[in-house]
Amino acid sequence: MTTCTVKNGVIEEFSNVSLSGVGVRVLVNSKSWGFSSTNVLDSESAKQTLLDAVKLAKAASKLKKQKIKLEPVKRATADVILHAKKPLHDFSAEDIAKIPLEAYKGAKEAGPRVVDVKATYIGIEDDKYFLSTEGAHIHQNTTRVLLLVDAIAKSNDILCPASENLGHSGGLELFDKTSPYSMGKAVAEKAVSLLNAKAPPSGKFRVIVHPTLCATLLHEAIGHPLEADLAMSGGGFGDQIGELVSSKLVTIYDNGNVKSGLGYLPYDDEGIECKRTVLIENGILRSFMHDRTSAAVADVSPTGNAHAWDYSVEPLIRQTNIGIEAGDYSLEEMVEDVKEGLFLEGTFGGQADVNADFTFGFQSAKWIKNGELTKELRGANVAGNAIEVFKTIDAVGKEAILRPGACGKFQFAIQGRVVPAIRCEIMVGGMG
Amino acid sequence: MATRLDENWNRLSDYVHKVIRKLERKNITHAEAFLTSTQTTEVTIRNSEILTQNKANDSGVGFRVAVDGDKVGFACTNTLNEKAVFEAGEKAFAIAKVSSRVPNFTLPQASQIEKVEGLFDSRVAETTVEETVEVANRAIDAAEGFDKRVIVKDGRVIYISGWRGIINTLGVDYEEKETKAMLYLGCGGKQNGEVTSSCYDLMLKRTANLEPETVGENVGKMVVGLFKPKTLPSFQGTVVFGPEAVSYQLCDVLIDALKGENIIARRSAWTEKIEQRVASENLTITDSATLKEGFASRSFDDEGCPSQNTVLIRKGKLENFLHHATSANTVKTANTSNASRFPGGLDMVRMIVGNGYRAKPEIYPSNLVIKLGNKSREELLSEIDRGVLIESMAGFAQEGSGVISAQLSRAFLIQGGEIQYPIKGGMVSGVAFDWFKQVSGVSNDSKQFLNSLVSSLRVEEVKVVSD
Repeated sequence: MTTCTVKNGVIEEFSNVSLSGVGVRVLVNSKSWGFSSTNVLDSESAKQTLLDAVKLAKAASKLKKQKIKLEPVKRATADVILHAKKPLHDFSAEDIAKIPLEAYKGAKEAGPRVVDVKATYIGIEDDKYFLSTEGAHIHQNTTRVLLLVDAIAKSNDILCPASENLGHSGGLELFDKTSPYSMGKAVAEKAVSLLNAKAPPSGKFRVIVHPTLCATLLHEAIGHPLEADLAMSGGGFGDQIGELVSSKLVTIYDNGNVKSGLGYLPYDDEGIECKRTVLIENGILRSFMHDRTSAAVADVSPTGNAHAWDYSVEPLIRQTNIGIEAGDYSLEEMVEDVKEGLFLEGTFGGQADVNADFTFGFQSAKWIKNGELTKELRGANVAGNAIEVFKTIDAVGKEAILRPGACGKFQFAIQGRVVPAIRCEIMVGGMG
Repeated sequence: MATRLDENWNRLSDYVHKVIRKLERKNITHAEAFLTSTQTTEVTIRNSEILTQNKANDSGVGFRVAVDGDKVGFACTNTLNEKAVFEAGEKAFAIAKVSSRVPNFTLPQASQIEKVEGLFDSRVAETTVEETVEVANRAIDAAEGFDKRVIVKDGRVIYISGWRGIINTLGVDYEEKETKAMLYLGCGGKQNGEVTSSCYDLMLKRTANLEPETVGENVGKMVVGLFKPKTLPSFQGTVVFGPEAVSYQLCDVLIDALKGENIIARRSAWTEKIEQRVASENLTITDSATLKEGFASRSFDDEGCPSQNTVLIRKGKLENFLHHATSANTVKTANTSNASRFPGGLDMVRMIVGNGYRAKPEIYPSNLVIKLGNKSREELLSEIDRGVLIESMAGFAQEGSGVISAQLSRAFLIQGGEIQYPIKGGMVSGVAFDWFKQVSGVSNDSKQFLNSLVSSLRVEEVKVVSD
């Protein structure tokens, strides 16, 4: 992995991170998993790691109430290599440094009120092998590239932040459509424009959620409760398979095979092929995301959602590239039906409970009056219960955009989201 | 007898010393190596039972090399052989040559280190997986035994033992053995179709003395207190923020405003406010890295500066900011020993790269300590005619501005000095910098979080918005 961070024109951090290791997971007595990892790659250490995993699994085996009858899997052999159009090894360290430096230059074009700019390039090359006693032998080689830009504009005592992330599975062709310079400039211009904006009002509003914010809402507040492990621990969707849980305009899926998505992986870390799994279809709950254990408990097939961030952590049920199917509405059509409301853009991240209660920050808003976008407003937070919010969706945009995303569920992950704009009712915690 | 952990540490330390000596012979300005070797045993809890048992052995080193004065490169490896460690040092050197200048870059000089007490307990290193499982089960039993309506959703018991070391070409060569034990338990409640929001408690220790019964009962009490919530009309008045709320959103604002790098960039709201009043006289806040058994205590920071206690705010007046070697050198002030390779927060780059030897140090507090007040929490509450107690809120502070708008996740109406009922929905919003000035009371108890030791704060004129 190579990272290069430019802060206010200076290469603040230029790093090469080279990691390797092995993680071993064992199931004993069809009841209990044990996991052990090491970064010492000799046969003695690997053997000791296996023995540790067995010991760990046995430690809790007697206490387990339920047997886990894993669904048999096909003996999978695969060698998956993601061919980047512009592979990272074709570029020198100087070429890499230019990427965040260009983003910084673009940001400074937005004027002297831009006081703080940070641009970070991240390039990850990953070689992953999965072998199992069931005969699996899977090699996956992936390349992922991200550019993260943050800018802060200042006027007197007012500070306004703005940020944007770009990322995909692939090489430096990421910047063929959007140059680092233009991205930096757009982020800083947004921060500057917000200096003259007022805070949004508080209360429940009819809002249009731009894909940049919809991606966070979908992943955090709807996606997590659709992960079987969280659903089984009292998640907001409970056991409502086959029931109407959302607006009929909503179809949600998870798909590990979106090739340029950051969550692109043809096989998960239990050797299961990643497929497109429809989770909610026209508002009806169809499936949760499963690993082999949760699938066995729910008596369904695993969906290829067991993923580990690296060798040092066990696989967990994770989203890959979660998406909402595009609808019929253009943005203009979504706005023209709103008498009074807000158009919410950008994300500052957020958090959600498994029961789908959420709080997210949006970066900016526009006030909608009589079907027209009017004054720009600063960011604030939105909150509510996502399941309830998704029941109020009355329009889905016709353009779904692939967004980069990250998740910190017990361990880190980078993932994709494929999202259109949505129109719904939401609680805004503004200061205006 | 040397353990596997000690053996890995000795091997790594030996390789690293050789590489530093080789780098010294090159045309460099400075070189530094930060190395760790850890062993972690972890049991995870899900749905009232043990989910998995994990063990991880991890060792690695990160090199920072400066050439031509202040051009800096960083590279790290976890491959435990002499060749890989040598290559990491060489990569850091090669990257430094193509990097740009980091103005005022410097590293700490060698100096006397005073060992902080209570950072290592051999019983943590010796804790078996069976004992870890037992602690987890005792926590589950305590929570669910407290009340039948309580359901354990998730939890973790973690024991970490390891070495941390720093070596540089200015004579710094320190190492420290340390242990940590953590117990986290999250629960929800269910009764007649009513489901409460999740509650959790956390116990962080340097010793093996985790108290699963205490944690389990605490969470049980929290859950039971959340049944039959009522909506509160919008309100502006006295709010008591419990330690959990203080440790997250309010501390985030404090840390953001106190970081030396944010002063240099002039993006802290407290830039040029040294010696000025920025908070109520009731607030005194220190960064205390030498606190005995403190969870983030250490004898030296992560670039080798000896630990110290730094008063940041004394009776509401701003006295100091947090610095590492380079930021202190930039503003020509003393290094406050706040270089951290394990900072908190939600920085995406940090999360991708990882902590410890995988990254260069950042400015971050060790233990941010709020000085205890002279009234108990109950006394603070008893003086409130009508107000809100916010134990936990979901949301975060906006960088720089200190604006917080967060959903109430565990909050209660206070009337006539007593807790009346839990509040359903609602958000709290305001500017934390204003809240610091409006603190009318600090409780005389505190709770340890990862990087803070905080009390309950009573704040006047806070706005709570109804659902």
